Amino acid sequence: MFLSAWSLSLVLCSIVVLFLMANAARTGVRVLRYWDQASDSNLQISLENETWLASTLIEFALAVQGLSLLLFILAADSYSQVIAGAMCATGSLLANEFGLPTLYLKLAGFFLYGFWILLHQIDIRSEVYPLVRVKYLYLLLLLPFILADILFQTLYIANLDPDIITSCCAVVFSDATGEGGNLLGSLPQDLMLWLYYGTIVVLLGLALLMNNRIPGLMLAGKKVQSILSFLYAMGWLWFFGLALAVITAVISSYIYAMPFHRCPFCIIKQDYCYIGLAIYFTLICGTFFGISTALAELLARRPELAGPVRQYRKIAIDLSLILLIILAVLSSYHYLLYMITGGES
Amino acid sequence: MIELESVNKIYNRGQPNEVQALYDVNLVIEANSMVCLRGASGSGKSTLLSIIGCILPPTSGRAAVAGKQLARLPDRFMTIHRRRTIGFIFQQFNILPDLSVQENISLPLLPLGVSPKERRIRAKVLIERLGISHRQDFPAGQISGGELQRVAIARALINDQPIILADEPTAHLDTKLSQEFLQTMVDLKKTGKTIIIASHDPLVTENPAIDRIIDITDGRVDVS
Amino acid sequence: MNPALEKHLNLLDYALSSLWRRKLKNLGIITVFAGVIFLVASFQILTSSLTSTAETMLAKTPEIVIQKMSAGRQESIPLSYLNRLDGVFGIRAAVPRIWGYYFDETSGANYTVMGVERKAMPEGRRLEMAIEGSYPEAGQGGAALGREVAANMKLAGRRTFSLFRPDLSLKTFRITGIFAESTDLLTADLLVTGLDDARDLFTIPDSLATDLLVYVTNPNEISTIAKKIAARLPDTRVLTRPQILKTYKVVFGWRSGFASICLLAALAAFAILAWDKASGLSAEEKREIGILKVLGWQTTDILTLRFWESLAVAGLAFLIGCTTAYLHVLFLEGSLFRPVLLGWSVIHPSLKILPVFAAGDVLLIFTLSVLPYLAATVIPAWRCSTISPDAAIK
Repeated sequence: MFLSAWSLSLVLCSIVVLFLMANAARTGVRVLRYWDQASDSNLQISLENETWLASTLIEFALAVQGLSLLLFILAADSYSQVIAGAMCATGSLLANEFGLPTLYLKLAGFFLYGFWILLHQIDIRSEVYPLVRVKYLYLLLLLPFILADILFQTLYIANLDPDIITSCCAVVFSDATGEGGNLLGSLPQDLMLWLYYGTIVVLLGLALLMNNRIPGLMLAGKKVQSILSFLYAMGWLWFFGLALAVITAVISSYIYAMPFHRCPFCIIKQDYCYIGLAIYFTLICGTFFGISTALAELLARRPELAGPVRQYRKIAIDLSLILLIILAVLSSYHYLLYMITGGES
Repeated sequence: MIELESVNKIYNRGQPNEVQALYDVNLVIEANSMVCLRGASGSGKSTLLSIIGCILPPTSGRAAVAGKQLARLPDRFMTIHRRRTIGFIFQQFNILPDLSVQENISLPLLPLGVSPKERRIRAKVLIERLGISHRQDFPAGQISGGELQRVAIARALINDQPIILADEPTAHLDTKLSQEFLQTMVDLKKTGKTIIIASHDPLVTENPAIDRIIDITDGRVDVS
Repeated sequence: MNPALEKHLNLLDYALSSLWRRKLKNLGIITVFAGVIFLVASFQILTSSLTSTAETMLAKTPEIVIQKMSAGRQESIPLSYLNRLDGVFGIRAAVPRIWGYYFDETSGANYTVMGVERKAMPEGRRLEMAIEGSYPEAGQGGAALGREVAANMKLAGRRTFSLFRPDLSLKTFRITGIFAESTDLLTADLLVTGLDDARDLFTIPDSLATDLLVYVTNPNEISTIAKKIAARLPDTRVLTRPQILKTYKVVFGWRSGFASICLLAALAAFAILAWDKASGLSAEEKREIGILKVLGWQTTDILTLRFWESLAVAGLAFLIGCTTAYLHVLFLEGSLFRPVLLGWSVIHPSLKILPVFAAGDVLLIFTLSVLPYLAATVIPAWRCSTISPDAAIK
């Protein structure tokens, strides 16, 4: 199904990312071979200049990856209009075995590029650029990942056949067993909600504690900070998976106001005021900042980076806190509205 | 304030067009002094200025400007240090003709995140001090040579940098304007700034206000 | 305000003034870019609008159509099949229809001749409303014509016309009405008559019809009812309205995609132009950057400046391109590109298209136009930001 504007735009995004990252990787190879901070030679000066190019290219690639993720979901939604049996993106993504893996790869790419940019931003705040080699090695390791993304996306689009019937989200996400292909199993709603809000409270508490925003409770000691940072990151990782499940299995049906419509993708549509976009944006960004505190913690071991890391950690924790609160409000709005106005014992 | 120890600068090292511009330069310039760098073109004067001006790092040796070691310093940090420490006055003034006088003066403030209002205030102070208020909003391409010179000075002072570096400032000025320029430099020195003027103009080299003349010939410095 | 935000605002301000100072060069780029975006956007809006128009038009058609199949091809369906539909819960009405193509040798056009009893159809009154005149009643030899059919017949005020039966005898029709312009997409080549008149024209036996139209009470049950019908009538093909709509979407989609591929060539050429323009720095521009760097602007500041410049150019071109495309579809009905999407035939419907411009379309057009431009200008922007500051000192 390449002859569709959506497919073309996805292919274009892939070409752009490949172009950007290939150039960045070229810099990476040169840096790994020739970098010598002590030198003032033309080569060193031009390598230093090239590092700015690499970082710009990767920041651009990150933005394109984010766009590509959004486009992919919207494309899947538009394919659903021409694929038999599909009512929304869920059906399109399940139409062949490459759909969901492509989605996961794009999602992961978002985080992986983000981590590179984080490494870079911390590195350039120290006068000795201690992470240069680490950074560019990581960059080279990203390349096969990008190729996998493009490959799976291409295979997905190429193997889309409008005549082959696929499932729709009502079948896939319903909680009635025996209707074939139930992706989430039968998950108890109440337990999930308890876990969801419980995790939010724990993460909020940790964030407030780590940034010393709880009056009367000051944190002392780098070791304590370190342990809490890792706990926080783990907490966010757990929360990410949990939130996706809860949004799909519980929250979405309140947004649709239909008990059997459980779909993670339809909430992105215009019909629901694009609330899905806001929810996923806050979730993904919040998770990124939350997890990155652990990454930053690993870097804090180098004395020359301690200062920038401390600065970043504070900002990251504050940002993840704000995003978590916004996410909690957005995801709870329809549920609470129903509870308060609809009434259910 | 400025210390150079065994500084060498080699361009295109290891390549067929390799050229050494500075040989084993040792130099100390005290704070709040007014110094003249004298040398013909090709003598390495520009290279020395670039190193003192935190534009280029030395190939070997130690170079410290206002307490910061320049060797092995990445360009990013050199730029940050440069904009805090050095105010430049170029030979050709290097004013952007399409921008107004006030815009030219506040150019260094844009990447620092200074608001337009604050920029106007800070530029106005210098504009009034240097007597060019009547030209504040004129395109810089339409003002006289003397006024351009004062715009260049104002731009060099906008961040309150402690060191002023002037490269052949009197080359395109008549005697009267040259003398006005030197007087301004003297006044600046009185406010605590360190002034370094690269020039071979006798009006400059023979001025009593100059504390010291540093001669540079074929990449070697003769400190008298 | 936050210094970081203030810095970006300052750089944006400088970027805009820099663009203005080089008006001529930038105006050229903006014009070409807007032209490319106009092409891409026109296609996208036209596709969305046609799909939406088709959807609206099809909304009142029968939910299910039953065709008899034999050896993989359609053949006439026995009217006795109507009896076998008794007891299928949810069917509001089942109506036989006769239709076929009539080739008019004089004009070289194909007409679609359709015979169906209006009174049998639940929404039959709508058909009546779509006609300027009246719907032909049963057995009276009346016919309602699509506007293009009427034009092709060159009636010159005549109220009757004749068509050839297969045995070359003539059957005369009396014109009862012409279909309204607003229905052109579906009726342009249509000739509607009573069931028996159509049977007479095509000499189809009394016990047969071309297909059966099934109307259901609850549109949500279409696929369930279709499955039941298919179970009772295994030698038939059961077409549902959602499936037909999907076919339209596929056709518009692939035609649009095909055209987009052709446009990609224009896009590629533009990207090369953008690269070239961004790379070509005049001596004055190089000097300016050297000065800025000496004054303390970092490489990243210059990069940000160039990025804002590119974004401003792209943003302006995007606005102009999309607006002109929208107006093109609104006022000119996309006449530049309609043939690609609607095909070339002798009968060509005139069409009042309501431009549909959803947020998804905006994103799509952005991706196909602005994104490649920004990507093409990254490396030239970087090259320009790494100009050495001592270029200004010398």
